[in-house]
Amino acid sequence: MNKKYLALLLSGALSLSLAACGGSGTPAESKAPAESAAAESAAAEGKTIKVGLICIGDENDQGYTYNFIRGKDAATEALAAEGINVDWVVKYNIGEDSSCEDANIELAEEGCELIINNSYGFEDYMLKVAPDYEDVQFVACTNLNSSFSELKNVHNAFANIYEGRYLAGVVGGLKLQEMIDAGDITADQAVIGYVGAFPYAEVISGFTSFYLGARSVCPSATMKVKYVNSWSNATEEANAATALADEGCKLISQHSDNTTPATAAQTAGVYHCGYNNDMTGVAPEASLVSCRIDWSPYFQYAIKSVVNGESFDKDWTQGMAEGSVVLTTLNEKIAAPGTAEKLAEVEKGLADGTIHPFAGPFTGTGTAFGASAPDTLTVAEGDFFRESDVAGGKTSAPYFYWIIDGITQE
Amino acid sequence: MNEKHTPLLRLAKREAMSSGKRWAIRIAAIALALLAGGIVMALAGNNNPFAAYATILDGALGKKTAVRQTVKNFIPLLGTALAIAPCFKMKFWNIGAEGQITAGAVCATYFALFWAGRLPQVPLLLVMALAGMVGGGLWALVPAFFKARWGTNETLFTLMMNYIIIGFVKWLQGGPWEKQPKGSQQIAQFAENACLPKVAGVYCGWIIVLVLMVLMFLYMKYTKQGYEIAVVGESEATARYAGMNVGRIIMRTMSLSGAVAGLVGFLLVSGANNTLYDGVAGGVGFTAITVAWLAQLNPFGMAAISAMLAVLEKGADTLQTRMGVPVAISDVITGILLFFMLGCEFFIQYRVIVRGHEEKEAAK
Repeated sequence: MNKKYLALLLSGALSLSLAACGGSGTPAESKAPAESAAAESAAAEGKTIKVGLICIGDENDQGYTYNFIRGKDAATEALAAEGINVDWVVKYNIGEDSSCEDANIELAEEGCELIINNSYGFEDYMLKVAPDYEDVQFVACTNLNSSFSELKNVHNAFANIYEGRYLAGVVGGLKLQEMIDAGDITADQAVIGYVGAFPYAEVISGFTSFYLGARSVCPSATMKVKYVNSWSNATEEANAATALADEGCKLISQHSDNTTPATAAQTAGVYHCGYNNDMTGVAPEASLVSCRIDWSPYFQYAIKSVVNGESFDKDWTQGMAEGSVVLTTLNEKIAAPGTAEKLAEVEKGLADGTIHPFAGPFTGTGTAFGASAPDTLTVAEGDFFRESDVAGGKTSAPYFYWIIDGITQE
Repeated sequence: MNEKHTPLLRLAKREAMSSGKRWAIRIAAIALALLAGGIVMALAGNNNPFAAYATILDGALGKKTAVRQTVKNFIPLLGTALAIAPCFKMKFWNIGAEGQITAGAVCATYFALFWAGRLPQVPLLLVMALAGMVGGGLWALVPAFFKARWGTNETLFTLMMNYIIIGFVKWLQGGPWEKQPKGSQQIAQFAENACLPKVAGVYCGWIIVLVLMVLMFLYMKYTKQGYEIAVVGESEATARYAGMNVGRIIMRTMSLSGAVAGLVGFLLVSGANNTLYDGVAGGVGFTAITVAWLAQLNPFGMAAISAMLAVLEKGADTLQTRMGVPVAISDVITGILLFFMLGCEFFIQYRVIVRGHEEKEAAK
């Protein structure tokens, strides 16, 4: 019996080593010109850096990961103009489990000097790998534990998406006000429906800024939030949007991964503001505008820092002023007249600091992470709450957890 | 023989084939698989197949760190193949190893999460291992009991049990065991004393499965229970005639099988992942069936096949990193290799007879 298996093992090894022998000859010849060409161009143009990117999905999601791929491509182009060649190694469809640890090890072993993890759930696994590769810089996007870590080579990054949501809220609010002014709806019928993933700070911060944006131009607006308890569930998201429209909401927005709330809004004959990607393609009669993070500025910043051997922010955040948060093209056909002008004005105000998304007056109640009882936040007229205030000691990840007056959730 | 009723192709069991000829067929099968895989690779992206195979080997075995990752892949494969071997020997088609691993992982995780503050490392790990075995064993006992008592179909039953426990873990992840702050759908990483220590750079599960391999070999070959399993597998009627309690043997063997799978679940959560998630078994419960069959249920053979698959898995990852070959292509190549290897065993067991060629075949 055992002889047979020893023989199997040996024969297997033999055939594989034959393949290996064949391999060591041919590829060396075919690969050599390509390699030397790469080396030459690097010498001519400047530096080449190998960067790893670990993605939870792939470009087919047309949302979350697609947004990272766009950022990657834009950053590559911009850096090439400065003489930095980026050799990306991308791992797609990695789970939020130990396969993420394996992917980090694999990329570090293959010589990546910077490794970017694109999903919240990757960070625990990244932090397990980072201590073994002190010369490699690791980034966990949208998370917050790396900034507190004692490790020098781990980083967090999150853009101020609430600025984009505030602007999208302005677009939606203008539409609602237009409907009130035209007599299509009464002032108290200006209800916004919001499809949220989970009742957590990241989502609450997002819909609060959206609501405050809408209220800044439509003072009678109120908001209803429905949670689907999933980041991505196309059917549930559509159901929630439909239910909100049935309950009288005239405008739908969302913090979830799919485009189904937009199509549901179109079917129900109401308007919609999206997230992550332009949704006018799937819902041309409902989708007013979307906001998204543009990762390209951060990628350029991090890659340049590594190339120059400089240390870079452990906890990074930027907003619209720096181009890290952008709005998609406004759907002029259905948006209220004058929206583009108003957007330009608010955008300028956000950039120069005269407008703050979380500006008072408002009062909200919520339960902080780790707290057992809810607390109340009151922001007075003329005052404002600083979100993602890295300089103030908080993290780039959103922190706002209070449900303010005018918003009801279920 | 009536020519009209003879099909064009017919199969007949072969008489014993010489060992040399058997090995010739096997080596030819591997060579053909590598050739077919090479064609796929060349078609899929104009990759040089020789370079690709060299990359697979180098990626899996070229560096110390690479070997460690390969061993990490090897541990659950061998462990699970050993777990299901007694069932398959008994011709009890347990395709629920996936669920039994997960059940063991859940029970071990309970102690890792809620007892880590109360127990030091060694007793805690022992409690977790025991909990994993009990969990996996009980999960396997359910279909075995139904089979022994009412003759239910164990293939469907064990398969369905997988989905129940995996759904349960999903609920735990998003519900009571979710880590703070909520929203991640993840269970927290274990405290240090709930994690298996590393030996030679890899968590010590590799020592455990190697010991298990020897124990399983001895159990199947030299114990009374091992003999009973073999008899039930050959013929239930014979076993009954010989006075064996077939129902009891089925339940006992399945519990053992589930307990070993549960132990693998413990190794995965405590050693490999340091946490629990719904995909903790990661399909290993199914791949292990192939491993066990290819090795013809011999524990040492299973180690060899597991090692080969672990090398392919790790090598394929590097292939993707270095040459940009999509992960799906690597899976196709692994599939081709397994297909050829299982296929050649078929041709070793049977011969194909073409209509009108019976005499020639017989004369050979």
